[in-house]
Amino acid sequence: MCIRDRYQRRVHGIQWCQRRSMGKESKSQFSLKKVKQYILVGRAKPVVKAGKQEEPKVYRMRVFAPNTVIAKSKFWTLMRKQKKIKHTGGELIAIHEIIENPSKTVRVYGIVLRYQSRTGYHNMYKEYRDTNICGAMSQMYMDMAGRHRAREETIHIVRTCVVPEKLIKRAETKSFTNGNVKFPLLNRISRPPIKKFKAFARAKRPTLFLQQINTFQYICSHKQKLSLIHISEPTRPERISYAVFCLKKKKTQ
Amino acid sequence: MCIRDRYQRRVHGINKLQELMGFKRFVQAGRVAYINYGVDHGKVCVIVEVINSTRVLVDGPTLGVPRQVISLRRLALTDHLLKVAKGIHTKSLEAIIKKEDLVKKIGESSWAKKLAAQKRRAELNDFERFQVMMLKRQKAYLVNKDVAQASSKKSKKPAKKPKSGSQPQKFHHITL
Repeated sequence: MCIRDRYQRRVHGIQWCQRRSMGKESKSQFSLKKVKQYILVGRAKPVVKAGKQEEPKVYRMRVFAPNTVIAKSKFWTLMRKQKKIKHTGGELIAIHEIIENPSKTVRVYGIVLRYQSRTGYHNMYKEYRDTNICGAMSQMYMDMAGRHRAREETIHIVRTCVVPEKLIKRAETKSFTNGNVKFPLLNRISRPPIKKFKAFARAKRPTLFLQQINTFQYICSHKQKLSLIHISEPTRPERISYAVFCLKKKKTQ
Repeated sequence: MCIRDRYQRRVHGINKLQELMGFKRFVQAGRVAYINYGVDHGKVCVIVEVINSTRVLVDGPTLGVPRQVISLRRLALTDHLLKVAKGIHTKSLEAIIKKEDLVKKIGESSWAKKLAAQKRRAELNDFERFQVMMLKRQKAYLVNKDVAQASSKKSKKPAKKPKSGSQPQKFHHITL
């Protein structure tokens, strides 16, 4: 626990801290790649040429990365490619993480990206519904990985924007933006409310049409009434050689 | 899909078709849902906006649920539906919850009562469990007595209702 967390704990109490740490989890409820937004400011190192000291141009870049290390790396990669300034010949002036306000409204984020496929480079425009840009970015990375096998390293973000309702391009995004959207929840698999109650094995298959609403219902319905019998027979086909070793060779006379 | 369903779908849209198919609880703005998992599990919230097919923006101002994005996997939909525009602000939602008296309505629903009963049952101490056992026996005796009486061919009298006055107040919700 870092100093800041220790302070928070003393001031606010342990429940607040637990809530806060779980709250972070609950904000993005999936194990999505947690992407953060950084602004990096850097320039080439000033070089004295013929007595004059030229002040090099300062560049500011907006980078999406899971941490500062990768953010810096991305920054220098792009600086090298676009401005011919290498990490060794340049200096990073500032790096700030941009933290957006917690989720209050759902927006449509449009992302223009360039990615490298196995055969070449492609540009793409994608739309995602989310409450903040980082969430939309995380969705984008997952989407690209799933649909195009494009890993994070091969994706370059060209532009991001908040798309107003009238300018939404994708049919799926449009359909969810509609205020009257409604659908039932099908194929519900109940799960225990706390990980502690998760069972390794169950005697019955899950019922997909009941919603389990609380702990007690869950435990009652998934009570194992059958005892798991240990079967000494192998469940997979095994090599015959093991059995052969058990046999004694007949002595030929 | 039969011709009739296809007609319904074309005329009324997919929502109507879903309703005709017997779906009553939908993920929609204003739907009251129960949180099944996570920090806020056990609490009730209102779906404020549908983000996509897997996530919703949820809020529960007087219900102890902060405004947050939650996975639909963590929700169980209830029958209650508030008339709410999508993306409603917390304050407006709070006013509607108070006006509709949602807390009271939820408390009156049968599953809320079952939950309370189950919770009570889990909290029973040893002596109370013994009392429950005794009462179950008494009730079973009375019920069986009347069942035997009713099923016997000789009796012409209508079956008597089993006595319920002997049970103390707190055990009313025990389902046998």
